[in-house]
Order: sequence, then structure tokens, then C-alpha cells
Amino acid sequence: MWKRTARGRELHFYLAGINNQNFLMRDRETGSWWQQVTGRAISGELAGSALELMPNDELTFALWKSESSNEHGHALVLAPVAGHEKDYDKEWEKEVAKYPVPLSFPGQGLQDRDVILGVELGGQARAFPLSKVRGQSPVEDKIAGVPVALVTGPDGESVRVFRSQWNGLDIELYRDAQSDGQSNGQSPEWRLLDAQGNTWNFAGCATSGPAAGECLEKINFLKDYWFDWKNYNPRTTVYNH
Amino acid sequence: MNRSKNPGLANRGLLLLLFLLAILSVCLFLIPAFVIRPFRHQSEVALGLAIAVKRIAPALTVVALAGVLALGAVLWRRTSWILRTGIGMALALSVASTVMVRQNYFEWMFHPMEAPGFVSAGEAHLGNKEMVMAVLIGRVARAYPIVQMGYHHILNDTVAAVPIVVTY
Repeated sequence: MWKRTARGRELHFYLAGINNQNFLMRDRETGSWWQQVTGRAISGELAGSALELMPNDELTFALWKSESSNEHGHALVLAPVAGHEKDYDKEWEKEVAKYPVPLSFPGQGLQDRDVILGVELGGQARAFPLSKVRGQSPVEDKIAGVPVALVTGPDGESVRVFRSQWNGLDIELYRDAQSDGQSNGQSPEWRLLDAQGNTWNFAGCATSGPAAGECLEKINFLKDYWFDWKNYNPRTTVYNH
Repeated sequence: MNRSKNPGLANRGLLLLLFLLAILSVCLFLIPAFVIRPFRHQSEVALGLAIAVKRIAPALTVVALAGVLALGAVLWRRTSWILRTGIGMALALSVASTVMVRQNYFEWMFHPMEAPGFVSAGEAHLGNKEMVMAVLIGRVARAYPIVQMGYHHILNDTVAAVPIVVTY
């Protein structure tokens, strides 16, 4: 998801092609060609320009609803386009998984279509297999010296990545064993703890403890297939603990 | 004297040019279509070529079509019915290419959302476990169901006065 402005101009994008199963788009204003996954213009008048990333979350509807009804007045959901309701295939990810891959990157322990969470910090890229993040949440790691925590939310599906640093201190987050038994969807008890005596919710904000009211910095990540991530981040490492 | 002696040779030259223009026209459509096939590998060189061809194709197909028309008109009376059939086919292919290079067939496949509608969180017919892409700008929250974005792929939207493009 990107801000659609470049060189001070508002742009409108449309689909224009495919590059190794990754969309190419063009803008109506200049006809330049953009790679969807990188937000970079690869050809045309705006070649070399880069769109600014629009931070966003992938959440279950229930979690999004509960988070946005607590805090915000205006929460809207994209409506189905009339006439296309039947085209929305809930199993499409399983369908895509059967497609052949245009590129293959064996040798780092991942299958080409394994879903990874890609994080890039300080020029270093690392892929975290989604299955591992789900199984081990929170996953703690350091990328280019920055401590990060990849956290699966109370719904067991939604994932967020935080910079696990508070007050200039690296903190270690761990699951609250008490809330673990109640992982039935949206347990209000869901929380993370740290050694400083804070409890953190899935928004990354401290709900009690010395950090109460403060929030961890969110880190952008890309949910992607391994082959696609590796193609655009050739020097990526893979989280392997 | 030469003209009357070798009309066949001159005609053959013009005919060859006509067919070459028709082939050029078809290539202007087919090269990018072949390179940018879904599910196939695109090398950087091939993709660069495809995009370069796509950029010149709208103008060049018109030039080629004009050439085919002009040569066809000149040659029509001088040729046999077999060659006229050939000229007719060359013309048809040139017209088809000129039309096709102006089509965005990716939008035929993926159906763009021109005027997106929104409903409040309470009105949305979504299951609790369905995934959404969510943005929050200021106090304005938007959710884009992934099952919809995975079908349409691109949405130009404006949230709290910030123009964004949602992609999946």
C-alpha cells in the first residue's frame, strides 16, 4: 500500500502487466510503469521515482472492528463491487499456491511458495517464515542491531512487528501464560509481558506498568512468497531459530 | 522502358514492404503480450524490451497501418486474386494490431474498481476471521477485505485527505 503521489503530483494507478507474478501498474497522469511490490517507477517519465509506503496492517475483521470501534469515529469497510460478489473466492490463496513459480530460490531452507514476513531495516533484509511466527510468537530477533518482535495477535492470525525498545532499552516480550489458555478468538486477557513489569496489548501499547500509555514503534513488513521476496531482496537472510 | 519491362519486380518490392509492415504491426502487439505472460518468468532484458515496444506501439501501428493501406491501394489493381487475399489479410492483421495495442487486456482480466463504495463496520457482511488490509490515518480507519483486493488488485482511494493506492 502506497501514497500515490510522486514529484508533487497526485497519481491514479491501474493494472498494466505482470513481472514474475508481481503486478506492474501505470499511472494515468504520465503513463509511467511501476512495480507494485517495490513502489518504484521502472520506465517512463517518472522512472526512478519511488512511492512512499503507507503503513498498514493485515488483521482479521473482528480484530480490526474491535480496535477501531474503541478508538475511532470513522471506520469504513470497502463494499463489494456490484456484480462481482460471486467472483470473490475465499479459497483463492489455496488456488494460487498451485500455480507454477516463475523463479526458484532453493538453498535457504524455504520452498518457493512459503509465505514469509519480510522485514528490512538498515539495509538488511530478513525473511521470517509465517508458520514459525505463528508457532513461536512472539519471535524476537535483531536486524541491523535493531531489536524486533514479531507478534501474532489474540485471533491467532493477525501479525504485527514492533521495535522492542522502550525508554532506550531493549526489552524482551513474552506471552502471558495466564492468558494463553483463553485464546478463543478475542480474549480480552491477551497480552504480552516484559521484565520491566509492563503489559502490552496487540496495538503495541503498554496497558499497565511503568510504560503505561506508551506505545512501541511499529515496523513495516511485507507478507510475501519466498521467491518474490528473495527476487527483490537477493541478500536476504532467513530467520532460522 | 525499364518500367514497362519490369513491372513485376517493382510490384514484388512493394508487396514485400506491405507484408513486412503487417508483420511489424503484429509484432508490436505480440512481443509484449508474449513477454508479459502471467505465471512465466520475465527477465529484466525481456521486460525492458516489452515495455519499450508497448510505449512506441500505439504510434507505430498507425504508421504501419497507413503504409499497408497506401501500398494495398496501389497494388490492388495490379495483382491477382490470390495476392489480393494476401493483401486483405495483411490489412486485417494490421487493423487488429492497431486496435489491440490500445487495449489494456489486464483490466479485462482483473476488473478495476472505478468508484469504490464503503459501508460502516457494522453493516459489512464479513466473517470475523476474514482478513482485511487496514489503514489508520489520524482517526480515520479503513478496511479493505483481502478477498476483494485479491480479485481487483488495485484501488485508488483517499483517506483523511491522503491519496493512497491499495494493492494486493
